[in-house]
Amino acid sequence: MIKSVFSLALAGAFILGAASEAASLGAELIMPGGRSWKGQLVGRDGDWIEFSTGANPIRVGASTIEELIFTINIDQEALNEMNRNREYERVISALNRTLAPYSEYADIPSNLTQYNALLMELYYKIKNYDKTLELAKQIAADSRDEELRDKSRIYQVLSLIESGRSDEAEALLTEFGWSSDLGNDAAPEKLYVTSKLLLLQKQYAEAMELAAKIVAFNSQDPEWMQPAELLCAEIYTELGMYDSADEVIREISLLYKNTNEDDQAQQLKIRVDELRAVKELDTALESEEI
Amino acid sequence: MGITDLVGSADRMLQRGDYRAALPALQEVINRTASLTDPQGRDTAQTCRFQLARAYYQVGDTTAGVKILEEYLANEPCKEERVALRMMAQGFFDTQDWARIEEISLRLLAMSNLEKEDIYNGNLLLGQARFRQEKWAESVEPLSVAAKMAKEPRIVGLCQIMIVRALVEAESWRELFGWIPQIYRTDSKYDITLNLTLMKAGKARFEDGDYLNALLLYRMVLPREELLNFADSNLQELAVKLEADMKRGITEAEIEERRNEITDIQESKKTLEELPPYEDEVTFRIGQIYAEVKRYWEGYVLFDSLYQKDRNSEIGEASMLQSVLILYDVEQINRAEERILLYLDEKPDGQYARTLLSMMLRDNLIKQNFDRVIAMRSNLDVLPATSDPDELSLQADLHYMMAFGYFQNKDYKSAGEQFSIIIDNYKESSHLSDAIYYRGMTYMMRGDYATAIVDFRRYQAETEYGEHLSAALFREGVCLFGMEQVADAEAAFTRFIDTYPEDVLIAEAYGMRGDIEAAKEATNDDPYTLDRALADYRKGIDKATTSLQASYAAFQAAKVYKLEYKWQEVIDLMNYYMDRWEEDANVAEAVFWIGQAQIELGQVQDAITAYLDAIERFGNDPQQQGIDKIILELVKVADFHLSEEDRDALTLKLKLNLTNIDARFEVLRLRLQVAQALLEGDDIAAALGAELLEDDIDLALTTPASLALMCDTAVATGDTEEMQRLYDYFVTNYEESELLWHAYRAKTFKSLAENNYKEVLWTIDEAQSMFGAEPFMGWAQIVKADTEYKMEDYSEAEASYNMVMGVPEWRGPLFAEAMFGMGNCRQAVGDLEAAHSFYQRVYLLFKSYSDGDWAAKGYLASADVLIKMGREQDAVNTLKAMLEDPYTNTNPLAEQVRIQLKKNEAYND
Repeated sequence: MIKSVFSLALAGAFILGAASEAASLGAELIMPGGRSWKGQLVGRDGDWIEFSTGANPIRVGASTIEELIFTINIDQEALNEMNRNREYERVISALNRTLAPYSEYADIPSNLTQYNALLMELYYKIKNYDKTLELAKQIAADSRDEELRDKSRIYQVLSLIESGRSDEAEALLTEFGWSSDLGNDAAPEKLYVTSKLLLLQKQYAEAMELAAKIVAFNSQDPEWMQPAELLCAEIYTELGMYDSADEVIREISLLYKNTNEDDQAQQLKIRVDELRAVKELDTALESEEI
Repeated sequence: MGITDLVGSADRMLQRGDYRAALPALQEVINRTASLTDPQGRDTAQTCRFQLARAYYQVGDTTAGVKILEEYLANEPCKEERVALRMMAQGFFDTQDWARIEEISLRLLAMSNLEKEDIYNGNLLLGQARFRQEKWAESVEPLSVAAKMAKEPRIVGLCQIMIVRALVEAESWRELFGWIPQIYRTDSKYDITLNLTLMKAGKARFEDGDYLNALLLYRMVLPREELLNFADSNLQELAVKLEADMKRGITEAEIEERRNEITDIQESKKTLEELPPYEDEVTFRIGQIYAEVKRYWEGYVLFDSLYQKDRNSEIGEASMLQSVLILYDVEQINRAEERILLYLDEKPDGQYARTLLSMMLRDNLIKQNFDRVIAMRSNLDVLPATSDPDELSLQADLHYMMAFGYFQNKDYKSAGEQFSIIIDNYKESSHLSDAIYYRGMTYMMRGDYATAIVDFRRYQAETEYGEHLSAALFREGVCLFGMEQVADAEAAFTRFIDTYPEDVLIAEAYGMRGDIEAAKEATNDDPYTLDRALADYRKGIDKATTSLQASYAAFQAAKVYKLEYKWQEVIDLMNYYMDRWEEDANVAEAVFWIGQAQIELGQVQDAITAYLDAIERFGNDPQQQGIDKIILELVKVADFHLSEEDRDALTLKLKLNLTNIDARFEVLRLRLQVAQALLEGDDIAAALGAELLEDDIDLALTTPASLALMCDTAVATGDTEEMQRLYDYFVTNYEESELLWHAYRAKTFKSLAENNYKEVLWTIDEAQSMFGAEPFMGWAQIVKADTEYKMEDYSEAEASYNMVMGVPEWRGPLFAEAMFGMGNCRQAVGDLEAAHSFYQRVYLLFKSYSDGDWAAKGYLASADVLIKMGREQDAVNTLKAMLEDPYTNTNPLAEQVRIQLKKNEAYND
């Protein structure tokens, strides 16, 4: 309860900060050739934006701008706190409100991409795959940051998989060149998405082998270990190997307490217990029939 | 000089940075003011003590400084207590007096209104002091505070490393794993000492059976190469920075500290370099743990990686074994077998060849893939000799399993050979006695009772508590029976019955002894043989543990009653049997016997009603083979006991039943169709057989009665493909059927059509071994003789033809055919006289058979031989006799003879 009130207060501060920024948008304008000016974005008129450095605003063609670096006052600590508390919808809502004034400049390359990437991950966490996909495609189109682009590709495929659009996911994997070379030293994210796809296609043993590779060969990767462990538990469940699933869940609970994966693992545990009960009942009935 | 002057002088020197020069003045002031009790005097003394301590620190004499600080802290006023404490702690730090540091830092932290810096320093000192004193659990909290407050990443890292080490040593696993994500986001993970600690702790946890914690610890260990590379680059960075900072100017203490840090890294690097490579071992251990905690796939990929990395190393081979074990656990059998076969091909002498082969054989045996077991024989044969006791034991296992593969596949000869290998070469094997027993079984199954009995007796003699003791005695009886030593067999069964009254084979023993009694000739001295047989059969029914055992005894008893014409007893016995075994009883067969008895008792309509009722009740179950017998019996009853009117009524009733039948009862429908067709005569039955073949009926619906019709049709139409298909299905599904000979006949004619004479003879041997000289088996003997003739083995062929004549039940056209065949045999070897004699006998003895066909053939063959012998006139006379013989003169062959004789007369004229 205390934590929740605390977070609410932080969220309030977070939104207020954004609102105060909405009237004039501080930004650094970077033009081709490395020329840059610090000032305020005054407004937009179609393909033109109005930018002021203190004197009269100047009009700049939106398409000629190389990048806009907005001065966004985000209370990172508050955001982290909410994220830690898995209050994803609140983070999304606050983030969307904060970024709303910048929406009319969304087509211009800017530092908004990193926030969109964060939103993309958050939408994925709350299972809004359409929105995840929309943002992922937007980020993928921005070639400035290869790391972010790669991440967006992963979320594109994952959203398609989670939406049951297996054919499209498979086509994307091929397009990205991720459907081959899935050896022990393959990148964990590549193994992860392919394993997810195979799980969707009910090729459980194949999916399990890939997920196992992530865990076995990337145990010091803090980013992919957590989801991979959860994936292992899910596939073991599908394989009917409930003791194995239990073991993974136990480990998740020990290593990743109070995380999204832990929450999902606990839900999975309930399912595993139900499935085990059904299996035991079936076995008992079968032995009675015999 | 006054105190004030002394203080002023010292202060000036301190201001100039001339600490050494200030020392005597400060000491002098302290000497003069130490005994003062007024506040000003005490204040002066304390201020000078503090300044003196600082000066000592500045000139590097920390010991003296510490001593002064102790005095300072022991007196009042102590305005600089916090700084003094920190300085003192620093002093003890240099001398590594950790207990004192702990004491001082605790005193520091107990002070009120501390500044952030003091809290940080106090905790850092306290944490380190406790850590150094191996107060692991107590060190974690202050170190955690310090790590959180530290601004310098290097200090953060050092704190984290100490925390992890402390948590490992304190075995605070849950807390430790909470730190992992933080550690692995920083370079602290590359600390060599930390990695070695984790490895050591992982090993200890593993050995204690604490697999989960062991796993998590091992998982944190980084590869050696990675650690060394990081250490090298770290050392280089530190050295460059130290050099630069020394040029810039830093204190001696700091230089010393930084040098110590470099030395520590160098030493830990050396330790690591001296260690043998550990990655593969750690990987193997992690794989083991994963397998142990049932995370099989994670284990598999690790073992697989080790195997793929080096298939020839010890760890590579061991990993291969582990990976296969896991593949079996996760039911990836094909992959497991593929891997085993590859290994066996590559390394028949590999250290795990026997183990792996054993796994594969065992799995296939359990799954009853006996062909697969046998296919592994080539791998078994190439295993090199060994003297290792464990390997020898495994080798015996392999032969034992291989033997069972053959045994279950009914290749008793090969099974026996494998058992012999164990008996002859592996006398220490735990399978030795069982091998003796089962080798006996292989001989027995091949009908070699004399050899089998040796093994059964040896088993009984050499095995005191063997699990097959009772069975060996029973089989001994069976062998004696097979060797026609009936009295000894009876004695063996009696011994068995007396010794093992509750054995699972007891009903069969009673059955066998009942058979022996039933076969005895009753004499005046012993008139009760059949009574004793019946008593045994009844006990057989009572003691049976399976319905099959009870059924055998019951139906054998029925046969005995039949011999004695005790029809009511048959009915009573069958009812008793059905009551005793209820739904497990072979009701159809029992009804068949009851019906037979009722017919003999003149209760024909009752029998027919019982038959029709049984057909309706059990006819949809293909496994109720008694129904097929009932159908044939029903036809027989209709032929011999029913009037034309009653027969028509029965046919009509079957038709009505067929019309009213539930569409789902397809097996019953087919049985009724067969019964109806058989009642309507051979042509209709043959037509039904043809229709079934043409419709390509699902064989799952067929039963022996319909299969028999279909087999006969296939033979009649020469459809070899169907002959084989029907044979396969019939033999596989109705091995015990009395109609199975139709399948053997089909198979025989299929082989004949393909001129595969060897297979013809083999099939006939099989059929004859099952059905002997039953009335319906004459075809087999004739075909056998014909085949031997075709194979130009004339003496064998003649003997085979001759055997036909020895079976009275075959009297009829078969006799004529056999006699004719004997003539052919003699003619083939040039013994024309004898050939002529056989042909003569054909037309003299068997005139009427087959509308005179055989007689006509006999005349012609006889004339032919006479011509060959140069006795043309005798030949002409023979042909004339044929034309005068009323059995042959209207035969189609006679017309040709007439034409020939006319031509001959015309020529002579």
